[in-house]
Amino acid sequence: MILFKLSAPQAGEVDLGKVYDAVVVGSGAAGGMAAHTLTARGMKVLLLEAGRKLDIDNELKSTEWPYEHPRRGEMPPDRHAISFNEYTIRQPPYAANSPYKNVHSYVQAWGGSDYSKNIVVDEKDHPYTGTNYAWVRARLLGGKTNIWGRLALRLSDYDFKAKSRDGYGEDWPISYKDIAPYYDKVDLLLGISGVKENLPYLPDSIFQRPIRLTDSEIKLRNGLAKMGRVLTPYRAGVATEKLAHNKYRNRCYGRGACNRRAGGCDIHAAFDSPTGLIYPAMETGNLTLRTNATVSEVLVDSNTGRARGVAFIDTETGRTYEAKAKVVILAASTLESARLMLLSKSRQHPNGIGNSSGHVGHNFCEHIMGPGVTGLVKDRVGKPRTLDDGRPGSFYVPRFRNLAERHPDFIRGYGFEGGSGTTMFPGEAISMPGFGKGYKKTVRDYAGAFIEMGAFGEVLARYENYVDIDPEVKDRWGIPVLRFHYKFGDNEKKMATDMAESAKEMFEAAGIEILDVNRRVLTEGWSIHELGTARMGSDLKTSVLNQFQQSHDVKNLFVVDGSSHVNAACQNPTWTIMALCWRSCDYLADQLKKGDL
Amino acid sequence: MADEKSANDQTNASARDDETDVSRREMLKATAGALLAVPLLNADGMATALQTKAPLFFTPAEFALVDELTEIIIPADEHSPGARAARAAEYIDYRLSESFTDEPKKRWREGLKLVDEISQQMHGKTFMQAAPEERIAVVSRIAGNEENPQKPEEKFFVELKRRTAHAYYTSKIGIHTELEYKGNTYLKEFVGEDAKK
Repeated sequence: MILFKLSAPQAGEVDLGKVYDAVVVGSGAAGGMAAHTLTARGMKVLLLEAGRKLDIDNELKSTEWPYEHPRRGEMPPDRHAISFNEYTIRQPPYAANSPYKNVHSYVQAWGGSDYSKNIVVDEKDHPYTGTNYAWVRARLLGGKTNIWGRLALRLSDYDFKAKSRDGYGEDWPISYKDIAPYYDKVDLLLGISGVKENLPYLPDSIFQRPIRLTDSEIKLRNGLAKMGRVLTPYRAGVATEKLAHNKYRNRCYGRGACNRRAGGCDIHAAFDSPTGLIYPAMETGNLTLRTNATVSEVLVDSNTGRARGVAFIDTETGRTYEAKAKVVILAASTLESARLMLLSKSRQHPNGIGNSSGHVGHNFCEHIMGPGVTGLVKDRVGKPRTLDDGRPGSFYVPRFRNLAERHPDFIRGYGFEGGSGTTMFPGEAISMPGFGKGYKKTVRDYAGAFIEMGAFGEVLARYENYVDIDPEVKDRWGIPVLRFHYKFGDNEKKMATDMAESAKEMFEAAGIEILDVNRRVLTEGWSIHELGTARMGSDLKTSVLNQFQQSHDVKNLFVVDGSSHVNAACQNPTWTIMALCWRSCDYLADQLKKGDL
Repeated sequence: MADEKSANDQTNASARDDETDVSRREMLKATAGALLAVPLLNADGMATALQTKAPLFFTPAEFALVDELTEIIIPADEHSPGARAARAAEYIDYRLSESFTDEPKKRWREGLKLVDEISQQMHGKTFMQAAPEERIAVVSRIAGNEENPQKPEEKFFVELKRRTAHAYYTSKIGIHTELEYKGNTYLKEFVGEDAKK
């Protein structure tokens, strides 16, 4: 490795006799942000992560060429990635009775996956049951931020106040003005690239140097402009300029190929929780970290009903321990935090901690994806090769439905992520018919001429979409697993039809030859944007948390991940998760100082 | 992270923000990949037979057949060497040798047999005994229904081509010489057009 990199600072030794100010469960975007905010405020924090601390740079090998790897980047043959067909035809638990030694979620099948096999979980150890769902989990320090897609978008009052606009669901207990200062803080702390567009429904961030567009993307953008629609460079949660305050991260050097092995950036230009949040938090001297610590229950004081800490299992030894804290903060991911709350039953909390409303696990929502379009930009055929993928992302088409006008078939909206130009592997080599010199020349000539985009749409938060605890099945550590009761509904299906149609219409408007219109909806869960299982709200009967992600029932319990979101909007949630968490942890620290927790 | 590595990294601290130095050195590293592809060619730039060790799964005769089939699918041309020079058959052989089930091995063995049978039907000789144009005629026949393969030989062609294309376009020759891929290197500035153009 040529670039300068610092290794992690040392965290304090775990003292299980001590009562920490806060114990944080999970070390991804939310848990990292909680640890960062609270330690900066002088609180003594214990951070528990279920997975290992991996030598991540050595896992990712971001610049290794395919031919430098014995299987050209693919996994060993005794490992298997679950395919779309398996997700659809079979029922969870998908790894049950599998002959393979290890079974992984679909992301391991992305063109080259030997680099993330230790990052995403083995489904054999982590089963779940119920309806079809592609649940992607990463158990390691930093969680899914190690391989996230990097699209970093803000929500607006079109989302926070969506019920006021169309009557469906619930409004959030906050407005854009409440969270805007925290979005700004996240932008400046972590770095984000993009171009200001002044769209009320997709507020701008404080952007660093933008990603550039290819000729094909400019062509599409000009076509969209005629329709009153917008194409903007990918708003990547990537430092495109050096962050002077963070010595663990480099700026982006445009090496590209960021998507070829389920993401991952070994120079940490892309945000990840360890280098962006946790290592800086360690430097305060206020953070204690324990990995391989799977939390199985939030412990409750039998007199007061308050949280007194957590029980966790050392995943190496199988031994159970207790960690004590004044405040318990769940940041284990939308579904794992709900699972933990439901598992934490006590005399005072017979339905699970913080669940007097019965809404924990419910209102589960996410993004529907699949429909999109692939096209050919004819004037790019046969042109000299250009470097088109030296970027951490390509472009984004923000939502355009149900803004000023009401669509007759569905409510809410969707946006498109897309890309174009040359990639390291020419995908058309597989799909293009023929053989011989003609075939070879066609693959070569067409390699930079393709453009594609796919939609991400809001799945409505519905009470009847939920998870609960399976009465029988347990994971490798004996912890009961989640059971899914989750299906896309009518609104999503109608929206998906429109996604494909509008994608086609936009390419046509830009004069791009359409090669394929994809109408297939991918399995529930595919977007890896699960949200909503412990939503915020002001009504104690229909919500789990207040506007500061604090449990209505248990004042010293906070749930700071995506489970708190009231609706999914159609924007990728990571930036909102971190902005909300920062806001809540500021409040938490104030309350603790005042002695109100 | 190993202590040794971090200590070593810290000695490079002064180079951290020297972007020119970083990109120049990394550029050299990247172009080395392209240069290494050259010794695989002879003076005429044409592919030469490269198989030196015994195949892991195929018999020597099967290997020769696969090698020839891959070269027919992606041949050397004036622009770059083909699948043979890129050792596509060697990679296919390795991946088949370690396949988790016997199913792919069976499919390949039967598929190769079919190729010879079809050659016998068409030309009265095995594929490798047939003349170059006759060989291409055999491949044309099994490739005839590529987008909707029905017969076993048609299905075999789809798999043969998929594996050949994968092996070729992930090789040094495929990436650097044939497609002249420019990425996976350190840049001073993103390429492409300014977003406000």
